[in-house]
Order: sequence, then C-alpha cells, then structure tokens
Amino acid sequence: MDRAALEQHFDRVLAANGAALTRLAASYTNTPSDRDDLLQEIAIAIWQALPRFRGDCSERTFLFRIAHNRGIAYLARSRSQVAGLAEEIEVYDPAPDPESGLAQEQRAARLRRAVHRLPVAYRQVVTLTLEGLGYGEIAEVLGISESNVGVRLSRARQILRESLENRK
Amino acid sequence: MNMDAELDVWRGQWQSGTTIPLDLRRRVERRSRLMKVGLIADILVTIVMGGGSTVWALYSPEPDTILLSAVIWLFLAAAWTIVLTFSRGAWFPSALDAAAFVDLTVRRCRGALAAIRFAAGLYLCEIAFCLGWIYNHSPEHRKRLLTWLFFSSLRIDIVWLATLAFFGFLIWYRRNQRAELAHLVTLRAQISPSADERLA
Repeated sequence: MDRAALEQHFDRVLAANGAALTRLAASYTNTPSDRDDLLQEIAIAIWQALPRFRGDCSERTFLFRIAHNRGIAYLARSRSQVAGLAEEIEVYDPAPDPESGLAQEQRAARLRRAVHRLPVAYRQVVTLTLEGLGYGEIAEVLGISESNVGVRLSRARQILRESLENRK
Repeated sequence: MNMDAELDVWRGQWQSGTTIPLDLRRRVERRSRLMKVGLIADILVTIVMGGGSTVWALYSPEPDTILLSAVIWLFLAAAWTIVLTFSRGAWFPSALDAAAFVDLTVRRCRGALAAIRFAAGLYLCEIAFCLGWIYNHSPEHRKRLLTWLFFSSLRIDIVWLATLAFFGFLIWYRRNQRAELAHLVTLRAQISPSADERLA
C-alpha cells in the first residue's frame, strides 16, 4: 500500500471509529488530557499497524485490539490504576439517585462512572459490548475464549446492575 | 428488565456521548496543575524546614534546638494533615463528563475554603511560637515584649508585613472561592437538583 492510500485508509478508519475509540480511551483514563494522550498513542499504533492488516479479522476487531493493548500499556505505566487489573473492586456509585435527577445525560454519566470502576478485565468486555461487538469479536480482540467473554460479561453486568440499583 | 433490553439501554446511554465545556475543562486542568505545584512546594518546605531544623538539632544538641526541631515537625505534620485531608478525592473527576467536572470543582472549592480556616489558625500558632522562641534567644529580651515585637528590628517588622500580606491574600482567596462556589452550586443544581446533597 503506498503512503497516500495508507493515509486515506487511516483517515477513513479514524473517522468511522473515532467516537468509539475516544470512549474506549476514556474508560482507561481519569482526565481528558490523559484520554487525549492515550487516544494519540492509539492513533499512532493504528498508523503503524495498518500496513500489516490483511483482513484476517474485521477492521473494527483489528482497531479495538490495538486500542485495548495501548490501554493496558497505559494502565501498566499508571501505578494508581494497576490495582484494578487484579483485584475485584466493589462498585459503588456515589452519584445521586437516578430517579431524582433524571436527565438522560445523568443516567449516561452514572453508567460511565460505574463502568470506569469495574475491574479492567470486566471493563474491557463491557466497553466492547457497549460498542456493539459480538462475543466472537470480543474474544478475538481480547484473546480469550467466547465462553470466557460470556462469563465476564455476565459478572460485569451483575456488578453494574447492583451499582446502578444501589442508588434507587 | 429483559437482559437484552437492559443491554440496549446501556448501549444507548454509553454511545450518547458527552461534551465537557472547554472553559470548565481548562479550569479543572489549571487547578490540577496548581495542586501539583502546591504539593511539590509542600514537599520542599518539609525538606528545608524539617531537615534543616533536624540537622541543626543534631549538630547542636541543646534542649532549645531539639524543642525547636520537634515543634517544627509538629507544625509540618499538622500542615500535611490539612493538605491531605482537603485534597482527598479532589484530584480526579469520577467520570469524564460535565457533571463530574462540576462536582470536582465544587469539591475543590469547599476543600479550599475549609483549608483556609485551618491554614490561618496554623499560621498564627507558628508565628506565636517562632516569635516567642526568637524573643527568648534575643539579646534584647529584657525589653518589654510589646516594644520588642513592634519596634525592635526591621526583621520583625518584615514578619508583620508578611503576615499582613498573607492574611490579605487569604481574605481575597476566600472571597474568590466563595463566589466561585456559589456560581458552581447554582450550575450544579441546574444540572441535577439533588447533586448538591451528596457533596455536602
């Protein structure tokens, strides 16, 4: 692939997946500047990896795999977040009662907080599910079996549900 | 709720996107930078004051220098307690959305207002102890205390001027923070009427 075609391909995949990649980067970071830094790292990694893409999997799977790998690399550098890799944290959302505030944005914000507090193994499965990936694609992105995806997702949903219902 | 319907609802909320107003984001980031600078300054003060007084006490192990070093460490411990207590939970927003950023700014304002009161009290204690210590070690300590405090030397006058400047700054900062807090609480109430309760 020549450089012009590569640039065109890169622009297209970023335009098509930019919002999803931004949300994914946000799930690994605490501040907008960190999110932007991680997003930039993801974009660079995609740029470097794009010439090697042979269509063995879907383009989306390929992008999310890169993005999650960069996310994990970010967590590995950020000591404050590493605890989430291994331990299963209690997901408690200190946000107000969802039935009292009640704008759609409030519920979305509460969900994002709850997702952000999930242990990273669950967070990955949930973010990919919420981006619309199926079990097979998630398994490919994360390098785990489909049944493992199901188990993690089921547990993650339970934690999320408890977290969101705690405030009702 | 049906499992898939629940997931669809969450998916819709997740992908709804959110925008953080640029000025709010900049304000939070500027404050974060200031907090980091403040933390570095506190560490330097601890090293210089605590370390200096400890070294002095080690080289001249007299009761007075040991007392001075102990009290300085006591003041430093009090200052660190204030810093750590009021910066707790004020470093990062709980999520990357406008509501969480407003929450964080409100929390920082409240922390700053509470810290101002403690800082003023701690400063007065420090000044009282330091001036007392200097007075006892001054060759002029037979002068009357009030005369010594206000008319004995330029150095003491500079301490008073610095104290005035410090309290002037605290008053200005307190006013500034209170105005910002009032504005933010109003804004927060517009976003969610119940949000202020959890910040109290």
